[in-house]
Amino acid sequence: MSDKGTESAANGAPQVTENSITAGQNDALIVAKDVTYSYRNGEQVSRGVKGVDLEIRGGEFVVVLGRNGSGKSTLAKLLNGFLVPDEGTVTVNGVDTADDDKIFDVRSTVGMVFQNPDNQMVASVIESDVAFGPENLGVPRDEIEERVTEALETVGMESYRTGSPNRLSGGQKQRIAIAAILAMRPKAIVLDESTAMLDPKGRREIMDTILKLQREKGMAVVLITHYMDEAIAADKIHIMNDGEIIASGTPREVFQNEAAIQRAGLELPVAAKVALNLKKAGLNIGFALTDEELAEEVAVALTEEKCESK
Amino acid sequence: MKDISLGQFYPADSFTHKMDPRAKLVLVVAFIVMAFLAKNFLSYFAVMICVVSAILVSRIPITKVLKSIKAIIFILVFTGILNLLFYNGDTVLWECWRVKITVEGIIFSIKMVLRLVLLVMGTTLLTYTTTPTAITDGMESLMKPLKYIKVPVHDIAVIMSIALRFIPIISEEVDKIMMAQKARGAAFDNGGLLKRAKALLPVLIPLFVSAFRRAEELASALDARCYNATPNRTRYKVMKFSWRDLIGVIGVAVFIVLVVALNNNFWGAYEAVPAVWWLFSV
Repeated sequence: MSDKGTESAANGAPQVTENSITAGQNDALIVAKDVTYSYRNGEQVSRGVKGVDLEIRGGEFVVVLGRNGSGKSTLAKLLNGFLVPDEGTVTVNGVDTADDDKIFDVRSTVGMVFQNPDNQMVASVIESDVAFGPENLGVPRDEIEERVTEALETVGMESYRTGSPNRLSGGQKQRIAIAAILAMRPKAIVLDESTAMLDPKGRREIMDTILKLQREKGMAVVLITHYMDEAIAADKIHIMNDGEIIASGTPREVFQNEAAIQRAGLELPVAAKVALNLKKAGLNIGFALTDEELAEEVAVALTEEKCESK
Repeated sequence: MKDISLGQFYPADSFTHKMDPRAKLVLVVAFIVMAFLAKNFLSYFAVMICVVSAILVSRIPITKVLKSIKAIIFILVFTGILNLLFYNGDTVLWECWRVKITVEGIIFSIKMVLRLVLLVMGTTLLTYTTTPTAITDGMESLMKPLKYIKVPVHDIAVIMSIALRFIPIISEEVDKIMMAQKARGAAFDNGGLLKRAKALLPVLIPLFVSAFRRAEELASALDARCYNATPNRTRYKVMKFSWRDLIGVIGVAVFIVLVVALNNNFWGAYEAVPAVWWLFSV
């Protein structure tokens, strides 16, 4: 395993040095090549993902969509070495995730936020919790302080610094969980269904935070979700079904791929759905992602119709 | 509602609250030793003055501290009566079969009860003035030397910290499960002890299932935060031994010396004064 790891790490990126956090804005940060992973439970083997190819560039916002059991969470866990592929390779910044010696380089480069915010906090004081990651990495004390402040400011929770996480809302707790990952200064952050347990307000908070990270901090964000409306702002969407990526592209491209969306058992965002249904009903209308776009499209279509009837 | 994870902590801005948790832990141990050293009423009196001044300095309402004694009232009565009835003294006041009440027995049981009361008052002062988190941090720091005999001090500290963090979460979950089971017709508060214990089973099983699930996710979260990435882990919160702690240490040391001196009658210096001498002798 480790032989294979070092070999492909060397092949993948010739510039690999110690702690090689060198990927720039548009270099490939996470590369998955023909990755297959199955869960073994005694005799039973269930396929997690099969033959997945994926590339995530620095600063990119990528959404992986799929329903329960589609393998999207497995894929997330493969991205930072929680799981090691049975076949194929995953490299982060040129480092193979199968390389045990560099696993912490991988994990501090690709941070991961999980579903339940309560199960990710280790300390009863918010700043201590955020400091836990940098402490583990052996960051000097003064710098930890700086990082904690910066991370909490980024997620807008600075005023809760010395408080307890117990009284916070779900969205606030999840923002703390994000701050805890940010304090390790990763290049990318993977959110494994991190919005699934939140109420609409909490989801909104998380989405705003993610967009801020990506736009202002230039971080790559991988959002694993089954809410299609969260994918609208993405640079790239991958739709997963039964362990395979069945469609990829920009939101505009993917949302018009009706066959794939149906196969994956997903539901289009309301605006897109209305646009499609209107088109089916005979209105000469283009595609719309957001409510504003939909309103515009409908207005245009209606004026055209009026002109024609005149 | 009070935050359950804070335990007994009584928030205030006092001298004792600001002390280093390590100093407080050490001082509490020293205090326990002091309370066991005391032999005669004068030395007990010294211990009492020590406790009262510590309470005054910590600005905890005295009624609050006295409340903590309520919890051990049964033990107090029990030890008091047992010592009273079975102490082997010479000056018999009343005797019946093997039970006798003696003057020495009365004095001894008063001392025992007094000692327990003082012990509880002194030690609860620690939990009143220090958050559980701070106590954990202090213990970790004090246990540091054990690292050299391969005790996983930091792991123990993380375990304690996580336990503290999850107390309110789990207790919330118990409430939720109980409500869910009540909605399904479970009765938790009627029937005998055995029946009630049995009724809790449908609460405990889902609780354990969910606790294990939480543990699994927590383990991944620890991995994601690079737990154990380097043996040269740094610490964000640094505890500082300040002038307050020095005063505390000096204060307790003075009291210990005083107790020992009183125990030994100041080595006979007061033999000339009969009234004082009597106090020393009992």
